[in-house]
Amino acid sequence: MTAPRRLLPARDPDTWGFFEAAARGELVVNACAACGAVLHLPRPYCHHCGSFAVQWRTVAGRGRLVSWTAVHQPFHPAFEVPYTVVLVELDDVPGARLLGALPGAPDLADGMEMEVRFEAVADGVVLPQWAPVGQG
Amino acid sequence: MAATVRAWPGRDRCAIVGVGATEFSKDAGRSELRLAAEASTAALADAGLTGADVDGIVRCDMDNVSHTALAETLGVRNLTYWGVTGPGGSAPCAQIAHAVGAVVSGQAEVVLCPRTLTWHSGGGLGGVLRGGSRNGGVGGHGTYEEFFVPYGLVLPVSTYAMIARRHMLDFGTTREHLGAIALTCRERANANPAAQMHDRKLDMDTYLAGRPISTPLGLYDCCLVTDGACAVVVTSAERARDLRSDPVSIRAVALGSGPGVQGGAFSSTLMRESFTTWPCRWIAEDLWRRAGLGPDDVDVAQVYDCFTITVLVQLEDYGFCTKGEGGPFAASGAIGLTGDVPVNTAGGNLSEGYIHGMNHVVEGVRQLRGQSTSPVPGAEVCLVTSGPPPATSAMVLTKAAR
Repeated sequence: MTAPRRLLPARDPDTWGFFEAAARGELVVNACAACGAVLHLPRPYCHHCGSFAVQWRTVAGRGRLVSWTAVHQPFHPAFEVPYTVVLVELDDVPGARLLGALPGAPDLADGMEMEVRFEAVADGVVLPQWAPVGQG
Repeated sequence: MAATVRAWPGRDRCAIVGVGATEFSKDAGRSELRLAAEASTAALADAGLTGADVDGIVRCDMDNVSHTALAETLGVRNLTYWGVTGPGGSAPCAQIAHAVGAVVSGQAEVVLCPRTLTWHSGGGLGGVLRGGSRNGGVGGHGTYEEFFVPYGLVLPVSTYAMIARRHMLDFGTTREHLGAIALTCRERANANPAAQMHDRKLDMDTYLAGRPISTPLGLYDCCLVTDGACAVVVTSAERARDLRSDPVSIRAVALGSGPGVQGGAFSSTLMRESFTTWPCRWIAEDLWRRAGLGPDDVDVAQVYDCFTITVLVQLEDYGFCTKGEGGPFAASGAIGLTGDVPVNTAGGNLSEGYIHGMNHVVEGVRQLRGQSTSPVPGAEVCLVTSGPPPATSAMVLTKAAR
């Protein structure tokens, strides 16, 4: 029996760099090359300074847990229930949040320290993932 | 001589003169175009009109029924205005707002606003996803789904569950608070023979024992999935006076995103500065100012309810209670039929049927005409809201003098 096919991110010109960086083992956020403003979720234009020069900025890969949900209802064969989706706010980019997924329904707590890891989900496709520090 | 200063030039310039709906079911057994035509002809007949009187159609961008197909089906002679607005639940009040804009600007006189879904028999939003993905991947093209769906944030319930969790952490909101909303909608549905949950009672023990869907939300926190259609007819206040039905005045409409809207359909709201305060907060400022009214003036409210938490946050954002107090407010009985602001008097998306909130518009009109199955005595002002986030719409309806 083959494992269900994962749902993979589309290769979008404005956002694929996030996943390309993950394939190199780096966590990045989009930022304006001219004024430095963080553009998250990624955007092709900086409205702060009027620049189309945007770039990827490597960040530390640590954050705090701000919310989570344990999914018990099977919505898609790519995801075996239960699984838990976590929402993490980056320590070094205030207000920037990213998602991760953990198997099962683990005990989690508000503000928990989280760290990034990288999961290869298909040939050439890597997702940044998040787990409590020391449990990844 | 100084002209009278009006708060908003659209105030009471248009009215809803017709509402119509099909039955709400699990399998309508007929096409979406036919359902749209049934609801539309019912709404037109309600006003004493036919398709030949229609010159405008405004649809939701997730609706499969095109304005041209519906116009041809209904016998529209010359469609002079059409518009498309917003995804899913955010659309209905925005459709009415577009219709008001079309009428006030002279681009159309009789505007039809339909909404049709066959999500139960058709597999719903999950069915859309299971059907495949673009370019071998999900998201892209400014949808930002690539940041959510690969992690298992597949359906809206999980996004709203994240919001509910944060609301619980910040404000002490409980499952019982959410349950009070589910029970309120169910009680109204129990009085409404057209509601899908008409015959199904719900008590707090049953609510709390509902199986977990996406924690902290369980089965009874989730709206229904429905086959059916609703339609609403908008025209000028002048024309409304000559028509068959008791017109309901459109006192004010508002659309809004608030700052930092984020792209995407719903999940990207988790990237906003706060995801427990919604664009409704900004809409409310415009809406109350345009209406010259406030939450204390509202006699009855049809509040979009894809999930219980959706109602709770809106009660706060529209100013019925302060931020964080939505749970205790809902549990106090304030949203019940004899409370300060009776909510979802036909049962809402949670218990009447899921027509993406167009059924809320229909019920708002029926309530002010005295035709609701749960009438609020003396009701003259009704708030109707559409789905938040990321950008949403709402309106204030009032009883119109003939």
